[in-house]
Amino acid sequence: MHEMQVVEVKRIVKETKRIRTFILDLDVNAIPGQFVMVWLPGVNEKPMSASYTKGDLGITVLRLGDFTRRLFELSEGDLLGIRGPMGRGFKIYGDRLLLVGGGVGVAPLAPLAEEALRDGKEVTAIVGALTASELLFVDRLKRAGARVLISTDDGTAGRKGFTTDVLAELLKEESFDQCFTCGPELMMAKVLDITREHRLPTQASLHRYFKCGIGICGQCVLDGTGLRVCKEGPTFRDKELRKSHEFGRYWRNAAGQKIYFGRR
Amino acid sequence: MHGLEVEVAGIMLKNPTMLASGIMGLSAASLRRAVRGGAGAVVAKSCSSQPREGNPNPTVIEVPPRGLLNSVGLANPGCRELAEELRKLGGEVPVIASVYGFSPEEYAENAVLMQQAGVDGVELNLSCPNVEGTVFGYREELAQEVVSEVKRRVKLPVFAKLTADAGDVVSVAKACEEAGADGITAINTLRAMSIDLTARQPVLGNRVGGLSGACLKPVALRCVYEIAEEVRIPVIGCGGISTGRDAVEFFLAGARAVQIGTAVLYRGLNVFRKVAQEIAEYLEERGYSSVGDITGMAHR
Repeated sequence: MHEMQVVEVKRIVKETKRIRTFILDLDVNAIPGQFVMVWLPGVNEKPMSASYTKGDLGITVLRLGDFTRRLFELSEGDLLGIRGPMGRGFKIYGDRLLLVGGGVGVAPLAPLAEEALRDGKEVTAIVGALTASELLFVDRLKRAGARVLISTDDGTAGRKGFTTDVLAELLKEESFDQCFTCGPELMMAKVLDITREHRLPTQASLHRYFKCGIGICGQCVLDGTGLRVCKEGPTFRDKELRKSHEFGRYWRNAAGQKIYFGRR
Repeated sequence: MHGLEVEVAGIMLKNPTMLASGIMGLSAASLRRAVRGGAGAVVAKSCSSQPREGNPNPTVIEVPPRGLLNSVGLANPGCRELAEELRKLGGEVPVIASVYGFSPEEYAENAVLMQQAGVDGVELNLSCPNVEGTVFGYREELAQEVVSEVKRRVKLPVFAKLTADAGDVVSVAKACEEAGADGITAINTLRAMSIDLTARQPVLGNRVGGLSGACLKPVALRCVYEIAEEVRIPVIGCGGISTGRDAVEFFLAGARAVQIGTAVLYRGLNVFRKVAQEIAEYLEERGYSSVGDITGMAHR
């Protein structure tokens, strides 16, 4: 039973010009990779990955559309409704872990890194953004003890290019036990292509339009597999995603119509 | 499992459990999950001529005890795109399309599209509580208009899905039978709402929605019982069914088959197989050889 819990926003952290973290007065013990449904009363409700998973729940949000614009108007003490945490989180295997995060996709990877490092694992994180000022959680990852490799599209920090460029070069030199990725779906599709060449098992966190969030409405079912992103996901194994001709190609909007990411 | 086969308006089901419309029904991939879960037939999500985005979230919330409140608002990709999805289903079990319209003509056009897609039957959603248009199932003469128009245009079995929000659901059912409906599905969700004590406002984006789940069962059972007394066409029970014992109550009340929706949440996508098994156990324990043996027994 996931009843709506309406709670106060305890603290708001400006991570970058376009990204904010909202720390909520809600004690949770979530698995990194799990999500919550976030209700802004009178506006809408959207799924968000937990970026702080133990103790007070945190969500880290990129300002993108109408809902997130309204979310950014909130002050500390204002109310948000939460259902969750829900869904399948990441599962840690092995000792040498590689994280690949693009943009706000670093949000669920940061608590994963912290948990893994506490358990004595070795963590390398490739963090990418459009530009240096939009890089997320680089300090947080370093503080936790991760090795951080950076890419920016415009070359203002780290390697000029994409996370996948850094990944391809790194895997020529080093090997890892498990890879975890979250970011734009086309980036994740490329990550899976690269890690497959190196036989590196990979888990990816997907984003889809959700309605119920509890596995019954059918809105987020992945073609080719029948897997529900809100229930069997939002994190999936590479093997599962390769069976889906939807992954990396299209998603379904609120009406359920297919919307293609790029060329059909 | 013996004795579970039923026939509903000429459609043969290997067992009397059906996936109710609105649950997992937006694509071939999701409907296949219900087929693999043991459903005897599946009913797709209701579709309209044009794509609809539906209402803002929250559109589906859990309400204790074991209920769901939804105000999806008939979000669907449009009849044509959904028809393409239904075409992909391989005929493992009968597929029923659910159609909606803002006029009798739109219902009929959508039913024709679905007939062309090769479905086995059409259910008319005359009772969606979450759209701004006329609820045709509220009144006998409106329901009759839709059923007549659809029956004039398609050869498939046509089921009318009704609501207990109507003033007199039994009269609406009789009117649908007179207009040529091949079966009645009873019932759709009931108009309901939930208000959060902290936010002090309705939780659903649409404020009001439809209630489903266990709390609906006694109402649905009463409707099926009363409708079955008055019509000769088959009645499909729907509302709060999550166990074989629930299903048996509906058969005793006169239902020929049952639809399951909300229970997917509590018992998983295999709920159909579980309920079918439980029905079989009941029949065996009591010495009956088929579902047909007990259909309508409570009317003695």
